[in-house]
Amino acid sequence: MAEGVPKIRILKGAAPDLSAATFQIHDESHTVGNALRWMVMKNPKVEFCGYSVPHPSENHIHVRIQMYDNLSALSALLEALANLDDLCAAIDDAYTVSLRRDPYEVWDEKS
Amino acid sequence: MNQSQQPGQNANPGSAAGGGFGQPRQEMEYICADCGAKNEIKSREPIRCRECGHRIMYKKRTKRMVQFEAR
Amino acid sequence: MTSLASTSSQSLYDPRRHVRVDAERARDVSSTDFPGYWPDEDHSWNLEKFKERLRVKVTRKSNRSIEFDLVGVDASIANAFRRILIAEVPMVCIEHVYVFNNTTVMVDEVFAHRLGMVPLNVDPALMEMRDSSGQATDRNTLVFRLQAACTRNKSAPKDSTDPAQLYHNSEVLSSHLKWEPQGEQDSVFANCPPAPTNPDIVLMKLRPGQEVDMELHAVKGVGKDHAKFSPVATASYRILPLIVLNPAKPVPPHLAHKFQKCFSPGVIDVDPQTHAVSVNEQNMRKETMSREVLRHPEFEGCVELKRVRDYFLFNIESEGPYAPERLFPESIRVMREKIATIRKAAQALLSESLGTNGDVDMEG
Repeated sequence: MAEGVPKIRILKGAAPDLSAATFQIHDESHTVGNALRWMVMKNPKVEFCGYSVPHPSENHIHVRIQMYDNLSALSALLEALANLDDLCAAIDDAYTVSLRRDPYEVWDEKS
Repeated sequence: MNQSQQPGQNANPGSAAGGGFGQPRQEMEYICADCGAKNEIKSREPIRCRECGHRIMYKKRTKRMVQFEAR
Repeated sequence: MTSLASTSSQSLYDPRRHVRVDAERARDVSSTDFPGYWPDEDHSWNLEKFKERLRVKVTRKSNRSIEFDLVGVDASIANAFRRILIAEVPMVCIEHVYVFNNTTVMVDEVFAHRLGMVPLNVDPALMEMRDSSGQATDRNTLVFRLQAACTRNKSAPKDSTDPAQLYHNSEVLSSHLKWEPQGEQDSVFANCPPAPTNPDIVLMKLRPGQEVDMELHAVKGVGKDHAKFSPVATASYRILPLIVLNPAKPVPPHLAHKFQKCFSPGVIDVDPQTHAVSVNEQNMRKETMSREVLRHPEFEGCVELKRVRDYFLFNIESEGPYAPERLFPESIRVMREKIATIRKAAQALLSESLGTNGDVDMEG
């Protein structure tokens, strides 16, 4: 990351109580953008969530979150990040178990 | 932590090429374009290969280190 | 298969999981498992429910590649891992080339580019990424030496025309790269001395009198910076094809073999006695979805072509130091690192916003 560029910035125009905000996440792309969008949308308190890559030569994404009941979009973002981490851990465990226990075909590939 | 050698910083390729300051000037070697033999040519000497008599010579590539990015 | 059939939402035949494939169009492409989409249903995030639905099953593995099923996740998650495998799992490659001599027919920069592409067997976990200062240390840089000179082979057979017999070093191979340990590297890489994964890559051809002398510095990087750092040849997924026969309109027995030929081999079974048509569940994944069956009016309404939206068939081919089965966990690790970085920043943002409010309160 370049010196002095914050990882996350709240773009101006956000609601003062942060019930609606656009987050600019530096050095991220569709990889995190789409996965995060999906997880934020799994939250029933979220009215809207969308992400974009504003320009292909700018190395950041925008994530827009709008909440019901004046709840904090930042809290929703943090919750989604925690859930996404749990999801990754669950997939990692399931993969490790399968690799250890499941019978699978082993073949030899010439390189 | 040990610093690994960065040839650009401490190698002194200039001396290897024989063009270093204050050193006795070495004779320039040339390569015959026909037979590839090494030839030393002194000033005011005819340009002619000692081995085959060919009159075209190539200058050798510089021994000076050149840096590239592998991209 | 019993676990899949146990509840309707976990059945392959649950229509909510289906992407419909028509002759000229795909329908129901987007997932609908969000809160508020289906009335009176809870689709909020629930780790336990997710774990119940999640199924990972390794199906095939070789020394270079691995195939596995990832079931019960959204496309955004599967795609994140695929993207990370290609662009963000690190690898060590030659990055700087210092040329002392090169009298070959190949230009320095072309050869340097070629050297960068050679996959090295170095475990990236043993090295650090270079920081912004770009300072080379024994923890982030490997040094290789490449020295080769071609000479005539005096003892070559008289009538030979084979350059390998006529000359010594008629080819520069990847095995000519010699690792020069720096600092602590001798002990760090004791188990597996750094070298190209394949010693037989022809880098360039030489003729007598031609010579190369270079020093090569390898560093750790990621595929999004340069494709040479990508640890995979391919990392891709398909979505499971699903063929649903219509019981109300069976395929006419005299057309059974024509029907069978509309699909990939092994996908459709035909009963030798009755000529009744059935789908082979095990081979269904082999279907290429050519949609040939939809071109024949006599089969209209007999069959539906679908894909299971949350059923991903991954195929990962390793090219580099990672064993194929290590790549997917590595992509998960990178994903979790990214999440942790963002989380930390978001946490700081939160305490910052709370902190300023607290200051105001104290002043009041």
